[in-house]
Amino acid sequence: MKQSRMMFLLAGCLISLLACRKDYEAIPLEKVTIEYVFDKDDSLGTYANKFLNSIYSKLPGGYNRVGGDLLDAASDDAISGLSGTSGVSQLATGAFTPYATIGDETPWGNAYAAIRAASIFVSNIDVSPVKEKLPNGSSIRYAWKAEARFIRALFYFELLKRYGGIPLMGDKVRELGDDVQVPRSSFADCVQYIVGECDAIKDSLRPNPVVAPELNSHRVTRGAALALKARVLLYAASPLFNGQNIEPGNVLTGYTSYDKERWKLAADAARDLINENTFSLLPNFKHIFTTQQNSEVIFFRQGGNNTTIETTNGPIGFAQVARGRTNPTQELVDAFPTDAGLPITDPLSGYNSNDPYAHRDPRLAMSVLYNGARWLNTEIQTFQGGQHISSGAEPGTKTAYYMRKFMGDFENAAQYSNISHDWIFFRYTEVLLNFAEAENEYSGPTAAVYQVLKDLRSRAGITAGDNGMYGLKEGMSTEEMRNTIRHERRIELAFEEHRFWDIRRWKIAAQVYGKPLHGMSILKEAAVFNYNIVEVFKPVFTAPRMYLYPIPYDEVVKNDNMRQNPGW
Amino acid sequence: MAYRYIQQYIFILSCLMLSFYVKAQGQQPATPGGDTSALVLRTRDIFIPSPQRIPVLYGEVSRKSIVGSIATVYTNQLSATPATLYAYALPGRLAGLYTQQTSGFRNPGTGNNFDVDIFVGNIPKSGAMEPSDNTEMNLWLRGQVPVTIVDGVQRDVFSIDPENIESISVLKDGLSTILLGQRSSRGVLLVTTKRARPGKPRLSFTAQTGIQQSLSLPKPLPAWEYAYLLNEALQNDGKAPLYKEADFLAFRDQTSPATHPDVNWYDAILRNNAPLSRYNLNINGGGNVARYSVSLNYTDQQGIFKTSSANTYNTNARLKRYLINTDVNIDVSRNLNVGMQIFGRLQEGTQPGAGINSLLSDLLATPSVAYPIHNPNGSWGGTNNLTTNLLSQTINSGYIQDNSKDVMANIDLRYDMGDWLPGLSVKGKGNLSIQSSNAFDRSKRELVYRMTVAQGDTAYTKYGQAITQKNDFITVFNAQYFFGQLSLNYDRQFGLHGISAVVLADRRQTIYNYDLPGKSTNLSAKVAYNYADKYFIEGALNRSGFNRYMPGKQYGTFFAGGIGWDMAQEHFIKGKANWLNQLKLRATYAHTGNGIDNSGYYIWRQDFSENNGIGGGIYEQGTARSPASGFQENGLANVNISWETARKLDVGIDVSLFDNQLQITGDYYHDRYADLLQIRGKSIALSGASYPPENIGVNLYYGGELTLTYQGRMNDLNYFITANGSIEQSKVLFMDEQRRDYDWNKRTGMPVGMRFGYIADGFFQSAEEAAGSATIAGYKPIPGDIKYKDLNGDGTINQFDEAPIGTFKPRIYYGISAGISWKGFELSAMLQGVANRTNYVANFATEMGFQFVNFTYGQAYEQITGRWTPETANTATYPRLTADANHNYNKASSSFWVRNGSYVRLKNLNIAYNLPYAWMHRLRLANVKVFANAQNLFTHAAYDFVDPEVGVGAYPIQRVLNTGINIKF
Repeated sequence: MKQSRMMFLLAGCLISLLACRKDYEAIPLEKVTIEYVFDKDDSLGTYANKFLNSIYSKLPGGYNRVGGDLLDAASDDAISGLSGTSGVSQLATGAFTPYATIGDETPWGNAYAAIRAASIFVSNIDVSPVKEKLPNGSSIRYAWKAEARFIRALFYFELLKRYGGIPLMGDKVRELGDDVQVPRSSFADCVQYIVGECDAIKDSLRPNPVVAPELNSHRVTRGAALALKARVLLYAASPLFNGQNIEPGNVLTGYTSYDKERWKLAADAARDLINENTFSLLPNFKHIFTTQQNSEVIFFRQGGNNTTIETTNGPIGFAQVARGRTNPTQELVDAFPTDAGLPITDPLSGYNSNDPYAHRDPRLAMSVLYNGARWLNTEIQTFQGGQHISSGAEPGTKTAYYMRKFMGDFENAAQYSNISHDWIFFRYTEVLLNFAEAENEYSGPTAAVYQVLKDLRSRAGITAGDNGMYGLKEGMSTEEMRNTIRHERRIELAFEEHRFWDIRRWKIAAQVYGKPLHGMSILKEAAVFNYNIVEVFKPVFTAPRMYLYPIPYDEVVKNDNMRQNPGW
Repeated sequence: MAYRYIQQYIFILSCLMLSFYVKAQGQQPATPGGDTSALVLRTRDIFIPSPQRIPVLYGEVSRKSIVGSIATVYTNQLSATPATLYAYALPGRLAGLYTQQTSGFRNPGTGNNFDVDIFVGNIPKSGAMEPSDNTEMNLWLRGQVPVTIVDGVQRDVFSIDPENIESISVLKDGLSTILLGQRSSRGVLLVTTKRARPGKPRLSFTAQTGIQQSLSLPKPLPAWEYAYLLNEALQNDGKAPLYKEADFLAFRDQTSPATHPDVNWYDAILRNNAPLSRYNLNINGGGNVARYSVSLNYTDQQGIFKTSSANTYNTNARLKRYLINTDVNIDVSRNLNVGMQIFGRLQEGTQPGAGINSLLSDLLATPSVAYPIHNPNGSWGGTNNLTTNLLSQTINSGYIQDNSKDVMANIDLRYDMGDWLPGLSVKGKGNLSIQSSNAFDRSKRELVYRMTVAQGDTAYTKYGQAITQKNDFITVFNAQYFFGQLSLNYDRQFGLHGISAVVLADRRQTIYNYDLPGKSTNLSAKVAYNYADKYFIEGALNRSGFNRYMPGKQYGTFFAGGIGWDMAQEHFIKGKANWLNQLKLRATYAHTGNGIDNSGYYIWRQDFSENNGIGGGIYEQGTARSPASGFQENGLANVNISWETARKLDVGIDVSLFDNQLQITGDYYHDRYADLLQIRGKSIALSGASYPPENIGVNLYYGGELTLTYQGRMNDLNYFITANGSIEQSKVLFMDEQRRDYDWNKRTGMPVGMRFGYIADGFFQSAEEAAGSATIAGYKPIPGDIKYKDLNGDGTINQFDEAPIGTFKPRIYYGISAGISWKGFELSAMLQGVANRTNYVANFATEMGFQFVNFTYGQAYEQITGRWTPETANTATYPRLTADANHNYNKASSSFWVRNGSYVRLKNLNIAYNLPYAWMHRLRLANVKVFANAQNLFTHAAYDFVDPEVGVGAYPIQRVLNTGINIKF
């Protein structure tokens, strides 16, 4: 009897130990499913807004993006201060293949991840009954949806300019087991899709200027959609894709025939934005990049308040350690005209090769630090043996120049302090230049084209001259005007990730990269500087295949419908 | 310092006093006649025991009836290993168990095991593996990481004192492990601790202390040689040299240590030997009703770093551990037996505030010429790029202390229902354990100064960032475990028919940090039958479930069976060949599973989380830049995820000859693992999401093991020799490989884990040869660079030229141990070795030198003196020097860096002397033994610049020389 009691006690103990009690939830509640993200009961759309935030966070930053260098250090405007090979030097010497791509310049995977996130948002946001309204009375969720569509379109354009036509994934979000062997769409279809998206969303987006910029200045606006459209159409009208397709007849690499009307579309798109009169040139060129919410910024990626640009690209040799990563070339420096707006090759310009930085376009001093320029309370010494030139393993200038653009006004400061460093994707100047370029191609050098250049030169501080032409030749041909615009674009938009793409879409990369790049070797002899131009870098460009990037090999071998770009 | 030793002495003294007290309370001193057991025990100590019953999963069975593959090692082989974990005693001891040491010291956990998010609080780092106290030794059983089971409970506890371990077994076949259900594929490391035994109180006290010495430290170049070779490297890169003739002289003659330092950092921050002490006290005894056993253990291991007497605290790497293990076994009634065990562990570790790992990596990287330890004015040396001073980081960076606590309580109930049905019993087991670990960060950092002399003026520039002493508390880890098991056992002999059956149900619940509990459940039945100990047959069925799979897909069925035939018991042999004691053929086959540790954390749900996806997810809002969190989709969900399966076959033979003096055990196995979790071949990026693991792969492991043991006796001389060897081969049968254009690129069909790379074909000897050869895109090789074979002949070296560069040969590992005992003297030694092993020695700090270290050139080591130069073109063993930070050509994965990894170690040597019994009797002691032993005394490695096991940059492997005394009362 006693034993059977024991038995029951024992059994009871064990059963109660083994029994499962309701202590915990069956599934982890902190890992929410899509019904919670796009909650049909949440009139604030809290999680949905956070989801949109994460899409914004996928936007690429521009500064020192490619292995610690600016993309422009892979163009003829600059080289990397890093000794040996770097991501940008591999780009500039063609040291990449479908099998060994330059990681930071191969946004394939990241772009499609962002496209997927945007598509998730686009296909699900409609269930969220967001109450907040835009000034025009419509629910803010329409603006949100349009913002996601814009970012998606922007990523498609990032892919388009690198690879040509790419697979368009539509709004469908693919699950495990769904078919992802999507073929590439033609270049024309991709342009049409992106432009179509811009047209579709422009009226849903917030108007410019945004209300409550302290909260919303980072948002995609109507202006951004118009600016993207203008840029896409300009690229589409450019020689690389319009008329000089690297593989004639290949619909993936561009249009199969030339059509002058494409220039008109590009010019009209830019004119549409200009005519809205919501943006204007900022009087001070330097401050475009360091002032938040200025009249010129159309769309940017948040870059924070910091000294990153200065400590990464600033001159070495100061107590405050900087790494001198971006070294402008002599080619870029020589591209700046004199303060009368005349090219330095012009005998009338007054350029003195023994004092090469005097009387130059003020934008030179605002873009480049050269020997003798003032910085951190010191005169920069990039002459041989000077304080700010490299020795040892440290990167430092190889051209005797450092980048100045994007930095705060530290000419007379003791040390760097935090400065706004947003990366500007679209600014008004570019739209003006896009317009000028397209208009010149379609209608020739009209007064409107001239006016763009005059406005820019006037803002830069170039003297108007007696004829009020800011050094511009009167009565230029389309050809001359084209070169003038390209020149202006180079110096105005230097280091802003334009030159690298421009020389490709103009199809002049083979010529540009066909010549070595130069720097300055400065000898100081008894307080007199002796300037010698020296070769610093030899780019390599294999035409025509390098006009477009290779599709990553894995994507080609895993996807039976994927076609590689010609030559790769 | 002094306090530390006093603490130790108090511990030893109290142990001794306790011993005497218990002894005094105990029975009268035994008569000489009664002590024969001790005498017998002593002489048998060195023998390899072969008890009649051996432990198996959840019980023990007669040795004769085993049909599976089990290898066992006992206390006296384990306890001669001077180390902090019993894992150190295992290499070479057990056939089928392959080991590789990865570090000479534990890797203390001092970081959070969960993410702290300012918006939502704590987010567990989900799906963490089983927390283990073994961070030094990798173990593989027939190619799989075994499940560790201590006294019937699945727990990764490796810090049990070897003295308290009765035996450690490896269960290698599927039948022996099938009761683990979804964890049954991996094999088992089964640890059985010493249990209470009846008798008068027996006390055993052991004190031992030893010194540890680092082995295979890399040898840095002296400053002048470094400077000379760096110039050569720069010249090779087409750059201006950094040092001039005067610099070499200054470095070599050490005339100007402030500006031209020559510091051997290894001598500067490491000490030559570090103590390791252990104390152990065991008390065991009891009567017919109740039996008890108590053991206490204290371990103190100190690290290799130098310390400063100016600190009132310990900055060295150190481990202090207290263990207590008590076991009480009570016969409550005639039928009911209750066993209770409590295991407790307190562990306190310290390390320099800079952290062991960062110190060791800085040590590897910092050049001898970088900066003086101290400047002439007494300040710490440093430069603008090397902004921390190594010695300052070692002795002057505060400390980090980590504490962990473990309590494990076991209760075992056994109710004998023989009154109702003879042979029937019910068993219950419950285990609760908790584990927590936290750390205090009291680290700090000081500024460094660089002395410059300009125009006769000496100036000091300060660099770096001073950090005042922190006082941070970090919760590292928290875990709770629960295990409950109920079983009905039937064990009976009907004449010649022996039958034994068990029906078993158990549930295990683990909670790590904030994760939801993982609950695994098993329902099993196992039946074994034998006829006259001659024919054996056994079968088992298991239904096992885990709650992190999708509902409806949580349970699976696993089964196993085995047969055995002891031919020696057949009448046609028995009696005719008396020298043959056993000749057993046996075989098992099992369908097993592996799912609990790789189930992922509810990955069948497509879920979203805040701020921890690609890119961080946080984005700043507006001009105010107020950060707002982001929600992101996590990787694609796999609703079909399930456990991996295996089909395991084991065929073996056991032979015992000459009155069991010679024993031979051989096994062949063929284990096919399927449904292995892998990422699919067509993981196309267009989907925009990362692909989840899916049940795809199929791998095959097959091989054999052989163990030979001979033990004999000549008068007073006892001796034994035991040797085991294992041979192991693996093959990838299926892996959903992406399309490969060339056969040599294919991974399928290769041994599992085969390394791929280019085939190195010497060095380029001339510029013409370099210019005319295939190369990696964008690189122009120069003489002295490694020449790679262009396998597909397309003129470039790319992924199509990657071929297998590891070994195809089966892995062979072995251990030989032998010993003698003579009149109280004991001597034993063990050799352990591995053959057909490769070692990929691509640590470029030592193999190439001058690696990029925060914008300066890193240290260089002795290896690079074998570099290629035009003069040594034919004898060079290393490629030409380079100091290019981005030079990756020679660093590409290639057969050049594959070295022979075979080695033999004199792993263990043990000498002991038992003081004569007559003396002991007078002192009323049962036995006193003094001993000395050593670990890693000698190593022969095929490639000996580096240790064959512990990699460069890790905490070095230690040689331990140890002495001690054991007193039994």
